Amino acid sequence: MSTLQFSRRTRELVSNTSSAWLAFGVVLVVALVAGFVARPELFVTQAVGGLVYGAILILITLGLSLILGLMGVVNFAHGALFMLGAYVSYSVVAVWGLPFWAALVIAPLLVGLVGVFIEATVLRRLYDAEPIVGLLATYGLTLMIEETILYYWGATPLGYAKPVILQNSVSLGVTRVSSFRLFMLGVATLVVIAVYLLITRTDFGLTVRAGVQDGEMTEFVGVNLPIRFTAMFFLGTAIAALAGVLQAAEYGMNSSMGQTFLILSFVVVVVGGVGSLFGSVVSGVVIGEATYLGPLVLVGIAEYTNIAAISVTGIRGLIPYLVMLFVLLVRPRGLFGEEGLLE
Amino acid sequence: MSTTGTDSTSDSDADAAAHEQSDETTNAEGGTITAGSRRLPAWFVRYRVPIGLLVLVLLLRPVVGLPFMLGIESVAPAILIMMLFVAAFNLLFGYTGLLSFGHAMFFGFGMYASAIAMSGHGAAPELPFFVGAVIGIAIAALVGYLLGRLTVGKGEIYFAFLTLAAAQAVFFISTRDPYGLTGGSNGISQGAQPTWIESFRGQLRITLIEWPESLLSTFGWLDDWYLLVGVVFLGAMLVLWQIVRSPFGRTLVAIRENEALARAMGVNTARYKVWAFTFSGGFSALAGVLMSVNNHGASQAWLSITTSGDTVLMAVLGGIHYFFGAIMGAFVWEFASGYLTDFGVLNLGIVSFDLSRELSHWQFLLGALFVVVVVVSPTDGLWGYLRSLATRLGKHVPVSNDE
Repeated sequence: MSTLQFSRRTRELVSNTSSAWLAFGVVLVVALVAGFVARPELFVTQAVGGLVYGAILILITLGLSLILGLMGVVNFAHGALFMLGAYVSYSVVAVWGLPFWAALVIAPLLVGLVGVFIEATVLRRLYDAEPIVGLLATYGLTLMIEETILYYWGATPLGYAKPVILQNSVSLGVTRVSSFRLFMLGVATLVVIAVYLLITRTDFGLTVRAGVQDGEMTEFVGVNLPIRFTAMFFLGTAIAALAGVLQAAEYGMNSSMGQTFLILSFVVVVVGGVGSLFGSVVSGVVIGEATYLGPLVLVGIAEYTNIAAISVTGIRGLIPYLVMLFVLLVRPRGLFGEEGLLE
Repeated sequence: MSTTGTDSTSDSDADAAAHEQSDETTNAEGGTITAGSRRLPAWFVRYRVPIGLLVLVLLLRPVVGLPFMLGIESVAPAILIMMLFVAAFNLLFGYTGLLSFGHAMFFGFGMYASAIAMSGHGAAPELPFFVGAVIGIAIAALVGYLLGRLTVGKGEIYFAFLTLAAAQAVFFISTRDPYGLTGGSNGISQGAQPTWIESFRGQLRITLIEWPESLLSTFGWLDDWYLLVGVVFLGAMLVLWQIVRSPFGRTLVAIRENEALARAMGVNTARYKVWAFTFSGGFSALAGVLMSVNNHGASQAWLSITTSGDTVLMAVLGGIHYFFGAIMGAFVWEFASGYLTDFGVLNLGIVSFDLSRELSHWQFLLGALFVVVVVVSPTDGLWGYLRSLATRLGKHVPVSNDE
């Protein structure tokens, strides 16, 4: 695209957008500038932190979004499998004494096998039923998995040391970021790219997408669909477990992390649009940045307008829900949702 | 769907009249009733739900107190309250087909409103009990209405996600403790009981009327808290039953079965769903009000996703297409909770297993049972299974859904 075409398309885009959206865009830019002016260094630190947090959210959500978008199954057990990955990595590192890099491979594999077992025994019977039945069944599985974790590892919060090479922080000019968080960002990027390539560029991904659209026809053409669905579920579960391993190394683990991140994943998926992987990626970044920059922007606006009540303390926890509320009011299907999926 | 009854409504009560006319009738839902040599009287069949509820309220406490059951009678009011809560939830899930994963927030509204009003916690003034209760129910109904307006049109899965998120937001707000109202993660425990309740040896007693000595033996039993809960439970469940039997309730079932067809017939499905949500929220708050008196206050654990999830579990376990399914599910859950946690040692004669550690994770077993129920028959549940057993054993029990 030449520069002339690019500027023409931009002009077309701007002229086609409704004035309400333009006004909103302007307000958003002004708010961000207000936040930046109020605390410049903190703004940059928080912006980078928001990006990293968004990457973590993306990685955690990717498994759920993959299974939901590609198989039409609402995997309520996603949070529990995420937690299982974390606890298995604890066993690998702290109990068996293997290095962290081994846990990065072993935990997703083991939890993926658990996922295969779940898919083969429970979910396979429910593909023809309504989506809500799959949600209920996986909720029951969540209960079972979480109780097993409580039984085997106990209820006290656990943690283990990160590998030595990733324990210090890296300077990025204006701010310092922990190198493990950069590592998480890198892993998230790699996994997203790998999944994208798998789905769009390989025969496997093509046949799975065809199977979701029209399973009967795909099987007539000679594709072994049950194996592929099992493999996709394995992949989604393994990614969830990988996210759990990273989360465990950085933040430790406790018995409620499954629930917390499950709800966050749902919020990210709903905001991005059910069934759209690109939507999940975008919404992960948006929610991550909003969570980190939101309080700062409110502080900036409060200082600018001298209304102290605007900077509500502790609003950070509510921000994902507020973003979801806003997005659903203006775009009920999420940012990139497809019509007809799960409706 | 054909009916040989005299009514034109697709109501299984029509078959009760038809009973007298022929030996074999087909009721509206297509099940066959064969009148054997014994026939149940028509009034019994028509009013089997209220009769069943009355029997339940009368028998629950003595049965629960039996040594081979739970052995303690004081959990009976809590079991009744949970049954009411799950029945309110089932109005939305079983009869309308909308899965709400956030019903704990409605329960919490009732619980917290009652506790806040009684104790004057934080910035709230001290209000009489009934005012607090009405405020709680009104807030729950209002939130149900508004949330319903926002979310019912978006599809079942979205609805489940959104109610989950809404409940989490409410939980989060209660942790932040705005204006000192909710007491944060500690909840409200001081002074949250109405003045006409007092605690006597662990049992709650109503002290509205001071009986003189002569009347104490004849009327003293009226002071039982369980009795009050039973009366409120009976009243609320009868209202729910009437809602379900009414044209409104029947329309909800039509919406659940085939929404496109209902809309083609001219039913404003969104409006019905919103009102079902509102009613469901209101009754849940009523259960919350009762629980706040029963538990001497409001605790934040009742607002968590665990409560919402347990409610879904209880409803599906019992059988969502049946009115008594919710009741059975709540009973099974509460019974399992009480029974299995105190189980201790399984004595098989020659060997005995100390299962106390395993059974403290009894939720695993109920989760497994839940998965089995969902895979085998998600809408019938345990109550549906018992009904089908009863039909096979005694052929004059009418088989129909939604009863």
